[in-house]
Amino acid sequence: MSAAELLLVKNPPRARVSTRFLRSELKIIFGRRRNLAGMGVLAVVPVILAVAVRVSAPGQGDGPPFVSAITGNGLFVAFAALALELPLFLPLAVSAISGDAVAGEANLGTLRYLLAIPAGRTRLLVIKYAAIVIFALAATFLVAIVGVIMGLALFGGGDMTLLSGTQTSMADGMWRLALSSLYLAAQFSALGAIGLFVSTLTEQPIGATIAIVLVNVFMFILDSISQLAWLHPWLLTHWWTAFADLLRDPIATESIKRGLITALVYASVFWLAAWARLSTKDISS
Amino acid sequence: MEHMRIFASKPALRILAPLALVLVVAGTGLVATTASAEKKLPTRTPQELLVDLQQARTDGLSGTVVERADLGIPAIPAPNGQDDPELTSLVSGTHTLRVRYSAPDKARLAVLGTYSEYDIIRNGKDVWTWSSKENAATHRTLTDEQQGQPGSTPSGMPSTPTEAADRVLKALEPTTTVTADSSVEVAGRQAYELVLDPNDSNSLISQVRLAIDGDTKLPLRVQVFGTDNKIVFEVAYTSVDFTRPDDAEFVFNPPPGAKVTEIQPNDQTPSTQDRKQGQEARTIVGKGWTAVAITKVGELSNSERDQQLKAFLSKLQPVQGSWGSGRLLAGTAFSAVWTDDGRLAVGPVRPDVIYQALSR
Repeated sequence: MSAAELLLVKNPPRARVSTRFLRSELKIIFGRRRNLAGMGVLAVVPVILAVAVRVSAPGQGDGPPFVSAITGNGLFVAFAALALELPLFLPLAVSAISGDAVAGEANLGTLRYLLAIPAGRTRLLVIKYAAIVIFALAATFLVAIVGVIMGLALFGGGDMTLLSGTQTSMADGMWRLALSSLYLAAQFSALGAIGLFVSTLTEQPIGATIAIVLVNVFMFILDSISQLAWLHPWLLTHWWTAFADLLRDPIATESIKRGLITALVYASVFWLAAWARLSTKDISS
Repeated sequence: MEHMRIFASKPALRILAPLALVLVVAGTGLVATTASAEKKLPTRTPQELLVDLQQARTDGLSGTVVERADLGIPAIPAPNGQDDPELTSLVSGTHTLRVRYSAPDKARLAVLGTYSEYDIIRNGKDVWTWSSKENAATHRTLTDEQQGQPGSTPSGMPSTPTEAADRVLKALEPTTTVTADSSVEVAGRQAYELVLDPNDSNSLISQVRLAIDGDTKLPLRVQVFGTDNKIVFEVAYTSVDFTRPDDAEFVFNPPPGAKVTEIQPNDQTPSTQDRKQGQEARTIVGKGWTAVAITKVGELSNSERDQQLKAFLSKLQPVQGSWGSGRLLAGTAFSAVWTDDGRLAVGPVRPDVIYQALSR
């Protein structure tokens, strides 16, 4: 350690709350053409869904969840799109961003510059994870908002029939959609923490992204094997579909709570694992 | 920052942080599931608890019930090939139900599917069912005579701990050993546990455990154990609140656009007709834990439902003996034989006990 570094360790600079790093990080995420293309794909699903339901004869009972309810209220386009994108599209988008977080910098050879200041590794992970959470929120709300716009344009709004068969106002429906989006964004953020950890293991962002998607799909597979029922409550993905509990009357909070606790635990464990890994890693690129 | 110094000097130790968190979470999870009551409830004898159970009343409750069944029944093909959350599927797998009760004639049961819900609502003389998947409701007005009858789910499976406990108590007989086990915790509440041992080697049921709320004496959990001491059926509250639900929760108005089927009260509904005929043609051989019910079901017709049943039966193991021949379903908690001459014998017993009953 040089004298200057020693000085910094002994007297760390007073923490200044600066959003500059975070802002530049977000600029990179939302400025990259490949990320914009990915978000375009996310937004296309509710559009296709709404148009397909509009031009086809109304079916009842069959098909993806919520789709048969769309003709009654356009808000269901948003719920149906979220349900459709929940198993793969939305987690894939979060996997791509989180897999790139550290491995992408290492791959480009910029990681060592970011770490030029001592004690910067923890801060780097805080900023990187904050950006992942913001992306998860943006992606989920993008799907929901496009769904609302398409749904209202093609089918109109009005009172909404909940899963329990009771009617609620349009405003309450929007509120429940916002809660659903927040809940799902929290779940995808937890996946993003797994992604951040995987991203510290490799210098290949594509490899990291594939690994995270595999983890996600693997959890879905485990969740579908009924012989492993004892394991299911511990799987992150097990609680994702619980967002539909927000559409019951009154809202069924039990699974939602369990889901949020599970997401918080996954996020904390994997963020700490990323922190432990990055701080012991030799950064050469 | 004193505690951080060790991490600064030995960064490799940082891996302990996430591991410690995993251990803490796993630890609290295990403690929560195996927690025994800290405050002991006053001791009660098994006999007192049995009386408690029969006298238990509540002014209302709302709660969540998880039902698990592993009866060893092969998958029943659903008409549309999908797993539907409706009550008929309660015979296998895990289901979450929401129970609300405020009076014998004010109750609501909702089966919570992944993206769907099936409700049965009883409010005075009105009985509604609602299926969010079908966007359809049925309505029936009970006659005065019907009002007294307890409602039952179409599948015949008990869907609440109370219902399950009632069935178990009916099967009690002198050979059963009843013991009160140490206190348990169910849905965060202190509870007694009654352990019923049939003591009958012919029965497939090795034990039944009833958890009884220490305060209200309502059953909170019923577990049925099979011969290999595995739980074959369980219905338990995961959360329960003994405040009376708002009356508005029992009011159901079919939403606009829903298909509503009105079931006329003076119509003999198929289910009641079946039940009446069934009672006439049913004989019970044996009693208690080894009772076998034999029902004359007659020949299968060419209707769609019967054809489905035929397809299901053809998958079962063919069996024969001095009693005739038929198909055997050997479940984990019961055996059933559908004879070729149109008799159905069911009981919580080994197959040979069914054959004996059939040859009588």
